[in-house]
Amino acid sequence: MLAALAAVPILIAVAVRVTERNPGNGRGPAFLDQITHNGLFVAVVGLTVCIPLFLPLTVGVVAGDTIAGEASAGTLRYLLIAPSGRIRLLAVKYVGAAAFSLAATLTVVVAGAIIGVALFPVEPVVLLSGNTIGVGDSLVRSLLIAAYITVSLLGLSAIGLFLSTLTDVPVGAMAATIVLSVVSQVLDNLPQLDWLHPYLFSHYWLSFADLLRDPIAWTSFGDNAVLQGAYFVIFAALAYGRFSGKDILS
Amino acid sequence: MMTSSLLRWTPAFIAVGAVAAAAIGVPLAASASSPLPHKTPSQVIELMASSHVSSLSGTIEQTSDLGLPSLPKVGAGSDSSASSTLELLTGSHTANIYLSGTSDARIQVLDQLAERDVIRHGSDVWIYDSKNHTAQHATITAKQHGLPAKKVPMATPSELATKLLGQLKSTSTITVGADVAVAGHSAYDLILRPKATDTLLGSVSIAVDSTTGLPLRVELNARGQSAPAVSVGFSSVTFAKPAASIFAFTPPSNTKVTQLDKQHAKPKADAMPKTQAKAKPATTVTGKGWDAVVSISKTSADSELTGSPLFAQLTTPVTGGRVFHTSLLNVLITTDGRIIAGSVSIARLQAVAAAS
Repeated sequence: MLAALAAVPILIAVAVRVTERNPGNGRGPAFLDQITHNGLFVAVVGLTVCIPLFLPLTVGVVAGDTIAGEASAGTLRYLLIAPSGRIRLLAVKYVGAAAFSLAATLTVVVAGAIIGVALFPVEPVVLLSGNTIGVGDSLVRSLLIAAYITVSLLGLSAIGLFLSTLTDVPVGAMAATIVLSVVSQVLDNLPQLDWLHPYLFSHYWLSFADLLRDPIAWTSFGDNAVLQGAYFVIFAALAYGRFSGKDILS
Repeated sequence: MMTSSLLRWTPAFIAVGAVAAAAIGVPLAASASSPLPHKTPSQVIELMASSHVSSLSGTIEQTSDLGLPSLPKVGAGSDSSASSTLELLTGSHTANIYLSGTSDARIQVLDQLAERDVIRHGSDVWIYDSKNHTAQHATITAKQHGLPAKKVPMATPSELATKLLGQLKSTSTITVGADVAVAGHSAYDLILRPKATDTLLGSVSIAVDSTTGLPLRVELNARGQSAPAVSVGFSSVTFAKPAASIFAFTPPSNTKVTQLDKQHAKPKADAMPKTQAKAKPATTVTGKGWDAVVSISKTSADSELTGSPLFAQLTTPVTGGRVFHTSLLNVLITTDGRIIAGSVSIARLQAVAAAS
């Protein structure tokens, strides 16, 4: 799955390089027109493209598989024979899913940076505010964006963990998690529901661009962290409620 | 069995309860503060007039609920100029604003994955658009303070408050409402209500900071609508001097820079019809203040406007033309190409159209 994620920025970079045509201003995904000037933008374009679907998809697969996967493989009861307890198993599984979120995001960033440097010129990066920062600073910003997106996926991971405790069929939990992430994004685009938008876990996903401003707008980083924290607390508690009393049959 | 299942679901109940309490409780706690000393409306207006805030950094939020069909943020046609004007009317916007002295100012309109900037540093004014990679440069005399208002895509609460107060003061009943808290600052709530009864605009409320006298929030309320039709206010503000680096701007290398000549710089049409009345000789104003009606004779923009497919969607046919209706403003575009607008009923617009 990480390889598939890495393929996204590589495909974008190769496609732009091969056609050698500057996709006019404001067309295609944001920042796409910057690539030919500066290879460092490949990572940012890669993330912009991956956030709505590919990243939630892979995180949904991993988080949905956590408990249900063990149950369907018949290994869950062996895991629980050891005196480590169910809470610990849940915690370890969640940390695993969170670590995957980080790895997935970093994969896109690193693959994007490498292919960008290989195919395009590297120059100081122009921020959204019109300021220019050095290559070193821009790498720091890329890592900050990766951190932001990892945090953004923590709520979804917790939802996946909870759904995974409901069923012994991993595919069901994976599909439900991914569908929820799509539903959340669709709701976020319906203007009639604007009172609901700040509470949707996908609401701040694209606000990572606030880290490309000068000065950095940290508000969205904080709001996003609080929101994801709330989703984590609720769904981790629900997962505990469900899993601690569940009859383990396989 | 019962108790054990209760026990294991306890954390879930606590978690849901705690999150709900935080979501509801935090905004409530923010609005509680000690009562301000009583002030009469004229004292509050005086406080506002005497305000001399030269340095601040803050974030302005603008929300609109004009009863218009909201346009989707993405999708075909969303790049046309007609829909971007409408987007400004229907959408919500966030901007950072920085002021330092009279000659350094910057406003950053934070769009999703993009940004628009207007920066003034000394006598240089830069207008930067990250989406189109364009920068415009103009020079300004030291006599003018702050940013050139015509170039700024968003109005600040204080500009809006001064403008509204100036235009509406004589035709309003002015009261001071209960204390409000805006961006953590306690403020007097100056409420203007029209003496006329047939206006769409029901009241204007201006939150005036109790210590500095700076207008922190302006809300336009339409009659029969609980949420403000337009709200422009600070979500955070500090009165410290911002870092000098914020006002420095050099256009990036891949940006197209255009030099704006002062004589040829065309003033952008303002959102307020009353200021248009001043700017264009072909306009006439009937009435004064709240129920003023602006008539614009045949304009060159007519065919472009009426030819747009959005025009047919957004307007409804009435006798004598088509009407564009929002909760704050009715605009009548007559069959002979005149535009008649005002915060009044459609019947009043038709009467004005027939009279002239």
